[in-house]
Amino acid sequence: MSDTVTINIDGQNYEVAAGANLVDAAKWHAGNDIPVFCYHPKMDPVGMCRMCLVELGTPGRDRATGELLRNDDGSLQIRYFPKLQTACTTTVSDGMHIKTNTQQVIDARNDVLEFLLSSHPLDCPICDKGGECPLQNLTMRHGPQASRMYFEDKQLLEKHYPLGDLIFLDRERCIQCARCVRFQDEVVGDDVLAFHERGRRLQIITHSDPGFDTYFSGNTTDICPVGALTTADFRFGARPWELNEVPSISPWDAAGENISLSMRLDRDFGGKAMIKRVMPRQNEWVNEIWITDKARFGHHFTRAEDRLQQPQMRTGGTLRNSNWEAAIAAMAATLQGADGDVAAIAGSGMSNEDLWALRQLLEGVGAGRLGAWPPTHDAAPHLEQVGVGAGTNLSELGRGDAILVIACDLEEEVPIWRLRLKQAQDRGAYLVVANARDTRLEDFAVQGARNDKVVEGDAIRYAPGEAVSVMRDLQKAHPQIAERLSRAENLVIVAGAEGLSLAGSEALAAAAANFLIESGHTGSANNGLLSPLPGANGLGLHYLGFTPQTTLNIMQEPPRVLIVAQAELLDDDPAAQQWLSQVETIIYAGLFDDGISQRADFILPLQSFAERDGSFVNGERRVQRFYTAQGPMGQALPAWKLFGGISQNAGIANLKPSAAAVMLELSGSVAAFQGASYRALSRTERQFPDVGGRDLYYGGTAYTNHGGIGLQIPTAADRGADVQRRDMADVAELRAGEGELLIMPITRLYNRQRSFRPSLLVEQRILNPYALIHPDDAAAAGTIDGDLIEIVAGESKVRVRASVSSEIAAGGVALPRHLTDAAVPLSASVGTVSRVTDAVAVR
Amino acid sequence: MHILLRGRDIPNIKQLDVYEAHGGFDGLRKSLAMTPDQVIDVVKASGLRGRGGAGFPTGVKWSFIPQHEPIKYVTVNADESETGTFKDREIMEENPYQLIEGSLICAYAIQAKAVYIYLRGEFWDIGEQLDACIAALREENLVGENILGSGYDCEVYTHLGAGAYICGEESALLNSLEGYLGQPRVRPPFPAQKGGGLYKEATVVNNVETLANVPFIMTEGAPAFKAIGTEQSAGNKIYCVSGHVKRPGNYELPMGTTFRELLYEQAGGPLHDDRPFKAMLPSGGSGPIVPLTDEVLDTRMSYEDCAGIGTIIGSASIIIMDETVDMTWVASKVTKFFKHESCGKCTPCREGTYWLDKVIDRILDGRGTADDVKRIADVAENMAGTTLCALGDFAANPIIHTIRHFPDDFAQHVQA
Repeated sequence: MSDTVTINIDGQNYEVAAGANLVDAAKWHAGNDIPVFCYHPKMDPVGMCRMCLVELGTPGRDRATGELLRNDDGSLQIRYFPKLQTACTTTVSDGMHIKTNTQQVIDARNDVLEFLLSSHPLDCPICDKGGECPLQNLTMRHGPQASRMYFEDKQLLEKHYPLGDLIFLDRERCIQCARCVRFQDEVVGDDVLAFHERGRRLQIITHSDPGFDTYFSGNTTDICPVGALTTADFRFGARPWELNEVPSISPWDAAGENISLSMRLDRDFGGKAMIKRVMPRQNEWVNEIWITDKARFGHHFTRAEDRLQQPQMRTGGTLRNSNWEAAIAAMAATLQGADGDVAAIAGSGMSNEDLWALRQLLEGVGAGRLGAWPPTHDAAPHLEQVGVGAGTNLSELGRGDAILVIACDLEEEVPIWRLRLKQAQDRGAYLVVANARDTRLEDFAVQGARNDKVVEGDAIRYAPGEAVSVMRDLQKAHPQIAERLSRAENLVIVAGAEGLSLAGSEALAAAAANFLIESGHTGSANNGLLSPLPGANGLGLHYLGFTPQTTLNIMQEPPRVLIVAQAELLDDDPAAQQWLSQVETIIYAGLFDDGISQRADFILPLQSFAERDGSFVNGERRVQRFYTAQGPMGQALPAWKLFGGISQNAGIANLKPSAAAVMLELSGSVAAFQGASYRALSRTERQFPDVGGRDLYYGGTAYTNHGGIGLQIPTAADRGADVQRRDMADVAELRAGEGELLIMPITRLYNRQRSFRPSLLVEQRILNPYALIHPDDAAAAGTIDGDLIEIVAGESKVRVRASVSSEIAAGGVALPRHLTDAAVPLSASVGTVSRVTDAVAVR
Repeated sequence: MHILLRGRDIPNIKQLDVYEAHGGFDGLRKSLAMTPDQVIDVVKASGLRGRGGAGFPTGVKWSFIPQHEPIKYVTVNADESETGTFKDREIMEENPYQLIEGSLICAYAIQAKAVYIYLRGEFWDIGEQLDACIAALREENLVGENILGSGYDCEVYTHLGAGAYICGEESALLNSLEGYLGQPRVRPPFPAQKGGGLYKEATVVNNVETLANVPFIMTEGAPAFKAIGTEQSAGNKIYCVSGHVKRPGNYELPMGTTFRELLYEQAGGPLHDDRPFKAMLPSGGSGPIVPLTDEVLDTRMSYEDCAGIGTIIGSASIIIMDETVDMTWVASKVTKFFKHESCGKCTPCREGTYWLDKVIDRILDGRGTADDVKRIADVAENMAGTTLCALGDFAANPIIHTIRHFPDDFAQHVQA
């Protein structure tokens, strides 16, 4: 059977992929934009809007013999359906003929459009979608000049119906295409939207409580073909034609979602370019055309009032405002006078260019300790060896493939991965989720069936702290699961760090790597290891030599001079006060002051991702570039410029003129970045489905990728290196003693980190501080659900509400990071839980 | 002779012992002694066609079910909601076992393990009666495991809808039965195919009247059935007559009987002798309206003959109107029905029914113009043939045909 079939569109033959949808095939191969409203290339067709009607014919066959019928001239006899057919519900077949330009088709489309407009309000001048609206665009092509219906007979409906805090529905504008309903149902797997009533009263509703609140809700506004769904963040904020789209990368997590920042010179930002909204940018390998609500609504920190804006220097014991020239000169002198006893800790929001400049500076002053922050995940060395193969696209995982997700909660840590892995399971992949507690992805794994489709998966619940031995002994303890994973055509393992020490996270990655190596799932696309390293550039840190092990070393043996770059140590580490007190000079560069200004000698404002050029390496090792979009805040500098400036002052190296120049040097020096010039990173190619462009109706308002699809760093296995399994006979796992529990910090997507709090819209969704504890453990601690409890582990002491549930295995307490102002332990640690009897407010 | 409305001939046939005493379940016994394929062949040979309206050959429909599929279903369409239809109701009220027997024969023929009888919500009392029948049959080992020792298992369930016309459309019915919104599905896959039926399994969906014919076919043989009716329309049909006739009601007559015989001989002619018939809806609200001319009256009521006069026999819900009836009012009534019943899925039907109703109201109110008549004709034309299921066409029909046949009725309401 051939993989292509020949179809004829308006008299012209095209070779198209067998099994393709007719709308997709006509667009991709023939450039024929069959108009659609309800159809979306990422979802199953429903044939509701009737806009895509075409004349459809197939070769006639003799009923008796099955032979193809021919005309007198030998050509095939094409039998057309008597009625027009919807292209969106049609799968191409060999010899299929369609006509899209006949009068009958044109009339039908005009008629359907007239029907849609007959109930649609004429409020384009104040509609957010106006200017990039599929209905508006198609009206230009197919619409009648004037309405034939009676204005006073139009149905009046609610204009500002909040489906939740974030998404508003205008019931008059809705054309009942069900894209939002289907997105939530098919793509996200949270069917919180539905139709209610019937006929002209058909309405979108939600029964969700609290309202429409999934982490992906904003995407519905992109795929809405009219202005019915708008975000509370952007509505009435600007007109699309005033906006400049600047390609960027989401700064939040390892997915590296490709985004587009919609910029406008704005009164509210002193006339400077300002982010008005954040939109998805198509990258089928990374985020397809979806982004999380955090990426979409979390941009407000870039303009937060409390951002650092002025260089400060401690003179005479007091921190005073300074200027760059003086501060840089003083720092150069300090660093040169430190006899090489200098170390740096860099956060995972630092770009590759920043890290390179910082490393050059440290090497220039004879120092070598480069720490990565936060020191929680140590899978990177294994990702370098056996990470998912070059060319991996999670959208290609399906029947015959398998996925194991262990010791992480992807819904909270890397939501786009959870979205795509859930869809892989929908396509037939076998999904196994292992953790000491219930997670959203586990719910999907064990669901059994979804949308009338059987889905296959398993869950492994292990005792807190046991992730490494579970992974190592999978064959022994869970032979059937291990067997299915081993036999899978393609296998992806996602190994996190939940419930593990830093060493434990490394061991888990090693055990996962062993499994992949043994079962032969390395070195090829769609096979290998992933890890939800925190932040946008966790792997960039690794490739540039910043490691979490070094951070632990720095914490144990503090240097004389410590450079802290975009790392909020005091917020994250309960012991930070203590060990920082042993540092003589602290140079702090960042966006926010987490209290370190009490101690630091230099406070240096850095620019956010939105204000400068740079690049991140995502969790799939894709080097991706982001562009300067927003006007700068105060005197903030990009970190590469700051560290480069100090190097120049100290005579180490000349300051590069641009981030591009830094990258050019870096790509020539560090093997992993070979070839990763900005020119290479900005290369794009045509992606299927072909969304964006003028025909917004096809895929919604996700943006065409003009900024580059990035460059994936090959793994050792990809390069053909002989990757070896590591002997793991001895694994030291954390064990709680009598009367103790394993305190497991977990990550919540919405939390009180300084960079998230300024996004007030989503801030409301940050949960009150809590800890998940098993009923047996709660009973032992004499506490019940809702009690205020105190959790003590090492230097960490936090007070939160107890959430008593058997969703967590006994022996462990899941304690979310960054919900309270007090820092929870960096990594899993042994600790105690007690009920608080004195009434003291939380936080 | 009644094949279907046997409750009229045999008192208490709704009781199992009486039903059995009159040959009840002989058809099932006979079928169980045959192979499933043989049963399908008998039904095919009988020429039985679907009584729900479309007239699709029943045996052919059964033969579409893929034999190798492990799970198959029979769904009985007892949603009877076409305007003016009340035939299935009488069968189920007065002769319920015959329907269940027919369903079981169908289930055996396709080797289904379950039959679902989908009743419109208003039939809750019939549902209770059917449940009692099913319980009685279980006692007699005619439902459940190892039926009559044949080794064949089959369960029968009833399910009440919520009273939606659209759920008489087979794919909307399946959606409703599965607990989803009653909206038609995209086809293919068709219900008979894997992926298209109930719970995505291959499913036969048959009308009550269709299945109630099957026991007769199995006991008396296909030729006996085929001998009744016309060449292409075999068997008896229940005609539901309502409106301006002296004796409205159900009439079970061979297919091919003329309208004249039905309306004059059986139903007693016009309600008022001085008010002649004006028009007829031969298939409830959904079929094209026709003026009751002599040509129409002499037409045989069969699938093939009704096409000749530009209408359909459909489910044979024959609504008769005499000369006092204003066709603009009829168009309005029917339109209100379809506006209320449109599921809202397809644009032309959702918007079209809404606007038809609004504009006809104007015309009836005396606020309309001649342009408004043209406007509704245009709207109806634009709806026809563009929707997923036939409801869009059904809603367009009354407008198109009332305006075509009775332009004066509209003209009297509007200013020139």
